[in-house]
Amino acid sequence: MDPVLLALTQKQLDHITRQMGWVMMKTARSPIFSQSHDFSCFIGDADGAVVAQADGIPIHTGSGGFALRALKHAFGGDIAEGDVFLSNDPYLAGNNHLADWTVMRPVFVEGVLFGFSCNRAHQSDVGGGVAGTYNAAAREIFHEGVRIPPLRIAQTDVVREDILQLLLANTRCPDLLVGDLHAMLGSTRIGAERLASLARDLGSKQAQRLFPNLLDYAERRMQAEIEQLRPGRYCGVDVSDHDCFAEANIRIEVSLTVERERLVFDFSGCSPQIAGFKNSPLANTSSAVYLAVATFLDQSLPRNEGAYRAIQIIAPEGTIVNAKSPAPVGFTTTHPAHEIITACWQALSGAAPDRSCAGWGKSLHPVSAGSTRQGNVFVLYHWLGYPAAGAVAERDGFNVLGTVNTLGGLVLPNVEDLELAYPVEIRRQEFRTDGGGPGRMRGGTGIHYEARQLVPTETTFRDEASRRPSGSGVMGGQAGAIASIRCRAADGTLLQTPAYGTLRCGPMDISIESAGGGGWGDPGERNPEAVRRDVLDELVSLDAARTIYQVVLSSDMSNVDYQATHRERSKRRFTTTTLEEIAQWELSRQEPTPANDERSSRRPSPFRSH
Amino acid sequence: MNSELRGGFRVGVDIGGTFTDVSIVDGVGHVHATKSPSMPADPAKGVVAALERAALELGLTLPLLLSRTDLFVHGSTIATNTLLERTGAVVGLLGTEGFRDTIEIRRGWRDNPWDHRAPWPDPIVPRHRRLSVVERMDAEGNAVIPLDPASVRRALDRMLSFGVESVAICLLHSYRNSDHEQRCRDIIAAHAPELWVTLSSELAPVVGEYERASTSVINAYVAPRVVPYLNGLERELRAMGLRALLVVQSNGGVVSVAQIARHPVSMLLSGPAAAAGALTHFQTEAGTDHLISLEVGGTSCDVMMVNAGEIGMTDLLDIERLRVAVPSVEITTVSAGGGSIASVDEGGLLCVGPRGAGSNPGPACYERGGMQPTVTDAQLLLGRLRPGAQGGGAIILNRWLAEEAIRTQIAEPLGLQPFEAAVGIIRLAEQTMLHAVENVSIEKGLDPHRFTLVAGGGAGALHASSIARLARCQNVFVPRLAGVLCAFGMCNTDLRCDLQRSIPIALEQQHRGILDRLTATLIGQATALLETEGFPPERRRFLTQWYLRYFGQQSSIPITVRDDEPIAAIIERFEAEHRRMFGHTQPDGRHQVVSVKVSGFGLLSRLHAQASNYTSSRGIDPCERREIWVDAEHDWKEVPVFKGSALAPHRLVDGPAIVEESTTTILVGAGDRLRVTSGGNYIIELQ
Repeated sequence: MDPVLLALTQKQLDHITRQMGWVMMKTARSPIFSQSHDFSCFIGDADGAVVAQADGIPIHTGSGGFALRALKHAFGGDIAEGDVFLSNDPYLAGNNHLADWTVMRPVFVEGVLFGFSCNRAHQSDVGGGVAGTYNAAAREIFHEGVRIPPLRIAQTDVVREDILQLLLANTRCPDLLVGDLHAMLGSTRIGAERLASLARDLGSKQAQRLFPNLLDYAERRMQAEIEQLRPGRYCGVDVSDHDCFAEANIRIEVSLTVERERLVFDFSGCSPQIAGFKNSPLANTSSAVYLAVATFLDQSLPRNEGAYRAIQIIAPEGTIVNAKSPAPVGFTTTHPAHEIITACWQALSGAAPDRSCAGWGKSLHPVSAGSTRQGNVFVLYHWLGYPAAGAVAERDGFNVLGTVNTLGGLVLPNVEDLELAYPVEIRRQEFRTDGGGPGRMRGGTGIHYEARQLVPTETTFRDEASRRPSGSGVMGGQAGAIASIRCRAADGTLLQTPAYGTLRCGPMDISIESAGGGGWGDPGERNPEAVRRDVLDELVSLDAARTIYQVVLSSDMSNVDYQATHRERSKRRFTTTTLEEIAQWELSRQEPTPANDERSSRRPSPFRSH
Repeated sequence: MNSELRGGFRVGVDIGGTFTDVSIVDGVGHVHATKSPSMPADPAKGVVAALERAALELGLTLPLLLSRTDLFVHGSTIATNTLLERTGAVVGLLGTEGFRDTIEIRRGWRDNPWDHRAPWPDPIVPRHRRLSVVERMDAEGNAVIPLDPASVRRALDRMLSFGVESVAICLLHSYRNSDHEQRCRDIIAAHAPELWVTLSSELAPVVGEYERASTSVINAYVAPRVVPYLNGLERELRAMGLRALLVVQSNGGVVSVAQIARHPVSMLLSGPAAAAGALTHFQTEAGTDHLISLEVGGTSCDVMMVNAGEIGMTDLLDIERLRVAVPSVEITTVSAGGGSIASVDEGGLLCVGPRGAGSNPGPACYERGGMQPTVTDAQLLLGRLRPGAQGGGAIILNRWLAEEAIRTQIAEPLGLQPFEAAVGIIRLAEQTMLHAVENVSIEKGLDPHRFTLVAGGGAGALHASSIARLARCQNVFVPRLAGVLCAFGMCNTDLRCDLQRSIPIALEQQHRGILDRLTATLIGQATALLETEGFPPERRRFLTQWYLRYFGQQSSIPITVRDDEPIAAIIERFEAEHRRMFGHTQPDGRHQVVSVKVSGFGLLSRLHAQASNYTSSRGIDPCERREIWVDAEHDWKEVPVFKGSALAPHRLVDGPAIVEESTTTILVGAGDRLRVTSGGNYIIELQ
């Protein structure tokens, strides 16, 4: 195929998926989409392989093909122009959890199936044991909501009313759901029109070659990246210590084999599936693996199934990474996605240490529901208590960002907006001191968040972070600080809060110290000037600077005592700091600008040039 | 200030990174334009030098030009560059206790979450200079913790020990009650009167502490660099006879130096925003009030929109990943320009941009040592640009170097002929520009089919016809002075001030009094400002907008409100707009006013530009014929090449053809027809 045409069409397909996203944002009803962008738009080929997905929440990446193939399997040749299909079930339809619904619209060119225009989006409510799709008490998938195998939601482009009514009968928010479903249908219609018009412009001969060529190209890019890795066998493991009902020892263990042009992730060492809703179906496990690989390698790699051909996943059925029906999976896109990503990052770091990614902190922010004094129902997510990100070679960890499965894609609300909208007073939102995992690059510090809830609430707790450090260090970096949560009733008594579960509470104060991110590299090699700045900024204590980073500062903290620092660091058995490096640090100290920082040497270009 | 044209001049001076553009419109309406090199080390000197050169070309001395100038408008990137190059003042930020880190948390905003290795830009104010004071307002503006003056003095002492020159103050809910911020300022004024002070409640009294604080610290950061420059320039030009210096703001309007000195942060788009004035002017000649501009520069392409005569505006500017809550002309920028570099990636795919070659070394054809092929090289190879010396020898275009770069780095790896590779480079760049045009139109629910594309910048007119065809726009309008669009726009502008205040409150009849009082207060402030600037009542105009949303929504929609309009009518208009933008309304939704904005305009007289006198009245024949690659259907073809100065109004040119102007080159496609307007500009009617 003409290489210019290939480049043009790849960009055009990405653009089409973004346009589908605009339509979704503009027309959906529930705030999930505009605020947390919890949806994805993708285009599949006639065999059900995802070829383009420029827009969407990271943890959706790579699982769309499972749903398309389940559809093909269920309907075979019985797919006609004007049909639109819907599914949400992980076991029957290749989805990740019941909250995410997938709309798939086949696209025909000259009467032949050419591809699929698809949209997957998190619904506000799908029935099940609790409102809002996250039922921490679920022991079976039946407790999590309505299950939808691949079904024909529209025929000759007309929505089947009986099916629609069945779906609406199974949600607590039919108004939101019907609005969002129509937004998804509209978004896939735009995508289908654009895709058909692209195929017509190309002509049938070129069009037929388009998708195979794009997938081959992506595979070549991925292979070229894999060739940069050190061949061998590497292990990674992350653990979870709670199965939602009791403490437990849950291992997500992966053994990675790097071959010449291929990565094999073997999860045979993982724990069996668990009682609670933190199991992962294969589609979600694959997404988590792809997310880990894409973020570890090069973010500009095409994210389609051509690239994923170079990745093999072995996940024995019945384990937590390939759960069997009817295990509950409601929390899967957060946990165990987090553990899968961390374990894969760890394994990959053996193959390319410089690219290692330290672990992100795990979350424990609760969700409070109640009524305002005027009688309006509210649901307040304590997002401001989000955990920190881990460090990489290029930067310190973000001090507060979000969960790793979204790569921090959610925008946090302002305190002023929260206080206007909810019966709550935010008392504090400040970085922790010594929260970040020490390292040559420091982990994010985590946040100290305090809120006073002025009315009684039902508060749901999901705590993955307070019993052990969760943001793991890499390359000699250390783990980020453990998180904590304390709730006090209005009279000052400390409340007993569960790890997983819902509590009826009167007005109360919530205080969270969120988990710190892991550090990257040996803290004894951190630029002393960066340590001095951290101390000045009260992100690192003077004591930690001395004992962990082995940096000696002048008494007013205006200078690093380089001679004393060198003496301290030389005491260590395996110091790698050389005198040349110290000289370089001293030079970097003398940069002229007040806001100097060696990390920001990338100068932005002027706004425009004549 | 007197803006009446009594045979006097209108002067626009636009400082860019490389060139300073001067546009002068004389009393008859003839437009003169010059480009001079910028002097980044001493921008004021650069302005004076550029003006001297322009005056010389008109046969005048600079004092004579200035004393006969009625309107002098300046656009400058000094605020932008201070921010981008991080050469601003040492700033301290005073905040509410418990909330020291707002500007570093940044609401977790990531442009591209996948690019997780990219650090955020360093905060303008590092944490140790972000200090807290003991105080607290609640969401209704009640002081639940009174201000502790001792905590202000402690913070101030600490800031002074860090060498702080400029202080930003942003306390929670100060948009509702600014008392504590004002008392902080009083304390600072009493103890350290030499400090610059920025109050968030004066600068941007809108709800949302992150945006307010971010805007305030950037203002505090640039003020000590921008204000002395403007004062110095105004003094110098006044000494030579100029009456008043006006400055372009991000909102596209102008304001006096004395006014802008209070909020220099609103100069961040000074320059590019002035294109709005040019677009307004071209509406008559283009015969439509639906315009999309495409300004193609060195490495980027800026797109703006005029919809039904209204320039597209935004209330939140995103500049180098920093947020600024200042009403601004909305400019969508993509990385595609003449200097965008083409390459082949390791999977064998052709890529164009986002990296650019800049002006040094520049494209391979510039003979400055650049080795990487760019869009300009591709245009040169396809014959659309004239090889040899350009712009009086400032640049030399070497076709052989262009071909070498494209052949070795693109054509051979892809197995293509060099010209095929060049065509591919241009098509990819144009696709990126097309996507930007679709972003500004389709994303807002508007069909580009209704719009005329205005080609600006040096390279816009080479791409515009092709992009317009792909986007199904109706026509292309090419200003003769496309290369100095912004400087020209400065000659056709109004004074403008935007006053906004948040007052989150239910939109109900019982709150009518509160809303009307706030609106009246803002109009009063705007009136006072216009009066100070010398505008009599008949030349004042006001626009009131209420920002409405349903309870629970994060974003709001500005709705224009007329005096004494019933609430029901306002709600009706909001719902119609909500339906247009989002496709639905909320039947049970409760309505909320978030803020009120009053825009005050001081009307200056409209520009009446005339076609200039032509160097040749015999402009019948093309000056040469050249072989160019036209398009896939027509391939290579010898086409006529016209000098723009030889084309008189109403002249028609059938494509394919090239028209060379002093600041741009126009490609007229096969089957298209170019017409010279009465104002001496060009309209290309597409096939």
